[in-house]
Amino acid sequence: MDLGHYAPLGAEALLTAVSLLVVLVGLFTKGRSSLPGYLSLAALIVAMWMVLTAETGTVFFYDSLRVDGFSQFFKAVFVLVSLLVVIASLTRYNGRPGGDEYFALLLMATVGMMVVASAIDLVSLFIGFELASLSTYAMAGFDKTKKNLEAAMKYFLYGAASSAFMLFGFSMLYGMTGSTKIADIAGASLAAFNPAILIALIFVVVGFAFKMALVPFHMWAPDTYEGAPALVSALLAAGSKKMGFAAAFRVILIALLALKLEWYMAFAILAAVTMTVGNLVACWQNNVRRILAYSSIAQAGYISIAFVVLGVASEGMTGPNNLPLDQYALAGGLLLVLGHAIMKTGAFISTAQVASIAKNSEDPDDISNYAGLGRRAPVTAFCMTIFMFALAGIPPTAGYFGKFVVFGSAIYGGLVWLAVLAILNSALSLYYYLRIISYMYLREPAGPKISESKGYVLSLLLALIGTFWIGVLPDGFFNWAMQAAAALLP
Amino acid sequence: MISNAISIMIAVPLVGAVLAFLTRSRGQARLVALIASLVPLALALQMYTEFDKSSKLMQFVESYNWVPSIGVRYTVGVDCISFPLVLLTAIVSVLVVIYAWGENHRPNQFFALLLLNEVGVLGVFTALDFFLFYIFWEIVLIPMFFLIGIWGGPRKDYSAIKFFIYTHVASLVMLLAIFAMYFTYRLPDGSRTFDMLTLLQATSDKTVFPPGLINAIFAGLLFGFLVKMPAFPFHTWLPDAHVEAPTAGSVVLAALLLKMGGYGIFRVILPMLPHVDKAFVTVIAVIGVLSIIYGAFLALAQKDIKKLVAYSSISHMGFVTLGAVAFTWLSIQGAMFQQFSHGIITCALFMSAGTIQHSVGTRIISELGGLADRMPKFASLMLAAFLASLGLPGMSGFVAEFMVLTGSYATFPVYTMLVVFTSVGVTAGYHLWACQKVLFGPILKKYLDIHDPHAYEILAMSAIVFLTLLFGLQPALITDIMGTAAHQVMEPVVTLSQMGVI
Repeated sequence: MDLGHYAPLGAEALLTAVSLLVVLVGLFTKGRSSLPGYLSLAALIVAMWMVLTAETGTVFFYDSLRVDGFSQFFKAVFVLVSLLVVIASLTRYNGRPGGDEYFALLLMATVGMMVVASAIDLVSLFIGFELASLSTYAMAGFDKTKKNLEAAMKYFLYGAASSAFMLFGFSMLYGMTGSTKIADIAGASLAAFNPAILIALIFVVVGFAFKMALVPFHMWAPDTYEGAPALVSALLAAGSKKMGFAAAFRVILIALLALKLEWYMAFAILAAVTMTVGNLVACWQNNVRRILAYSSIAQAGYISIAFVVLGVASEGMTGPNNLPLDQYALAGGLLLVLGHAIMKTGAFISTAQVASIAKNSEDPDDISNYAGLGRRAPVTAFCMTIFMFALAGIPPTAGYFGKFVVFGSAIYGGLVWLAVLAILNSALSLYYYLRIISYMYLREPAGPKISESKGYVLSLLLALIGTFWIGVLPDGFFNWAMQAAAALLP
Repeated sequence: MISNAISIMIAVPLVGAVLAFLTRSRGQARLVALIASLVPLALALQMYTEFDKSSKLMQFVESYNWVPSIGVRYTVGVDCISFPLVLLTAIVSVLVVIYAWGENHRPNQFFALLLLNEVGVLGVFTALDFFLFYIFWEIVLIPMFFLIGIWGGPRKDYSAIKFFIYTHVASLVMLLAIFAMYFTYRLPDGSRTFDMLTLLQATSDKTVFPPGLINAIFAGLLFGFLVKMPAFPFHTWLPDAHVEAPTAGSVVLAALLLKMGGYGIFRVILPMLPHVDKAFVTVIAVIGVLSIIYGAFLALAQKDIKKLVAYSSISHMGFVTLGAVAFTWLSIQGAMFQQFSHGIITCALFMSAGTIQHSVGTRIISELGGLADRMPKFASLMLAAFLASLGLPGMSGFVAEFMVLTGSYATFPVYTMLVVFTSVGVTAGYHLWACQKVLFGPILKKYLDIHDPHAYEILAMSAIVFLTLLFGLQPALITDIMGTAAHQVMEPVVTLSQMGVI
């Protein structure tokens, strides 16, 4: 066997090996060593480098995994999110009993997501999905408080249901086309229209929609994000949710090309309802993590606009500078995915910082704990403020640029109503983001000044740099996203 | 001239804002702020000496590729329309820092935000790419939100959020209109551009922009600018924001932020005016007239001196709207001068209100009286400011409003006479009434131990009164530039009658 051939999968192999190693280290040191955290950190940094430099365009394991620009983009997002979460987790979990398991699960989850990004076969896709899901189910209940367990339970039940839907859809597709290869299914569905494919499609969409937390399949997300340990919520909202998008882009786009018209309308409605409901409900929340959860639902709605545009984009439709419209829309979706991953990770890590200092409180994430944070924890508050403005789409940040491309693609595609609705939603979202900011800076402090944990601060600053980097110098990221999109489109 | 003057002008306050934020004491923060705001002033004055007042072209232009994949460039430059406002921004920013010299509540953040504000406003006035323009337009909201929210009065939370959301929604409507232009127009090589001048030029092309579309774009942009100005009936965010903002915030808000709306009218709306539905002209003129009259009457009814000044701003900005849309050479020139003049005068008005609040502890007019007795220096400056605001000949406000009214008469005789007969009297009335009540008469017993404000407050106000007189007596210093600007705007079509409006 020529091992060199598998070099593009090196990042996955490395992370898998290190996750096993971490468990061993934990076993021999009874979980008291601080080695697991640093090992994971080093592994993720190396993995990031491997992902970015991997040779693309290769297919592995009997056409079931493909390393291309698209998978590379998503893998970079996943590794980045895990990296930020690991840095923040060092102070919280490293060297504590159970810490080794935490880091091992986190690496496993990352590998699962990376497999999904590469999967071009329904079976490997499902395996990746389940690997990531099972790891994160365990992580959601990691601190074993009552809230944790409830969150983990809800997440598990909904996740299992979504897997079941998805698997049923897959099995129907397999039954009708005789193949689990996404490309074969695409060919078969193009060749002959079969109404049963539509039913399969509905099941698959429902399965993915759970993961992406699109309305009305979003119910679990606020409860889970609120109840899970905050750092795990960061991983869920920024990482495993994006896994849903990675899968949906690949499967729906390619496999069901023939049914374009049907799914474009479905996604238009899903997107419109998702962003509106997400934003409206967020205005009513008093728990910051719930606000972030609903905001992340709304953001999923914005990203879904890319699906809709892909549905209407026909041959020859172009965006700016004669770029093909479908590629432009998909690139916009990818930019939103990347930007949202960074901003949301940062925002959830900020909540983790606040929760760690909100002592003697029934609800550590209640917005009242954020009063005067600007003076109690200046760095956290400052970063959180930037993330809030960025999520609201205020320039010059990642949030603005991503929205600019996606909303613009909707206008190009003739979906002006959707673009207008999205922009109005953006304005609406400002209300709850400003509310958090106003608590942090406009209220009297709710407690004494505290020392901010170094791990959290480092991770927040990295996310902050990312947020501005994409916003101020978007060209490189845009071109990268365009290449990633080109790799996926037929 | 230093190359990249405009970029340096924007960059220095930005760096200054970061440095000021990192300082540990009030002394350091305000020193950083002063230096960082003096640099743009020095550059602006240097530019003034080299500025070609007769040229209709952009000057000091810098242009770099920024996001080439979607046609965004970093392009800045000034012409006769924008240069006076750049100058105004540079002057006001320094004076605000001086006026706020004694700020002791979180001074590092306070001065950093003032500088950040300057960055945004300078950017808006110099950006020549819609993408860049929008970024600066939005950046301005952030420091103002915090200035109101942290240093504001009792209802600061409500006012800050209302200010942000109200004006942000207006900006988004403007953004949609910008999108519509960007997505409709292609350069000859098929690519897209955000270049402001190119897009505005393109709006005259009826094959690219059919009448329905151009009207929609125009309405969207107009809405964005009228809210910012603010014009009746979109003015309701302003009194809240002003009343709750700290003095320096109010000054920046009235002197600079409102001017962004007016600038939008000159830069974007007027070049498009010949190509849109002629009914817009009447609508805008009516909005201007109503703002003037309604603002004046509202000011007359106020009990709080700061509210009075806030509503008077609506009235004075109405002259900008009216003069701009009357579209004669004199009226446009007057409207531009009104922007500049109001920018200066309003500083002195809000500083007066602020100083009274700081020294006496209340701004309620009926609780004040005879302050001139104990605060003679302040009283003379406040009186001068109020007289300038009501339009006393010899001061800049008179020149501006006179030019607007004379110029507008040719186009809108009825509206102009309506303004002359209703608002001029009322304006004089509330200004004089407020001065008389606050400054003169017997001093109230409880105010026997108050005294003139700090030297820095007097210094800032004196500088403004001096400028008011300077531009009142020698308006040509700056109206030369506006005259060229008015020609520039009107060049494609000379008058409204030639456009077929009247």
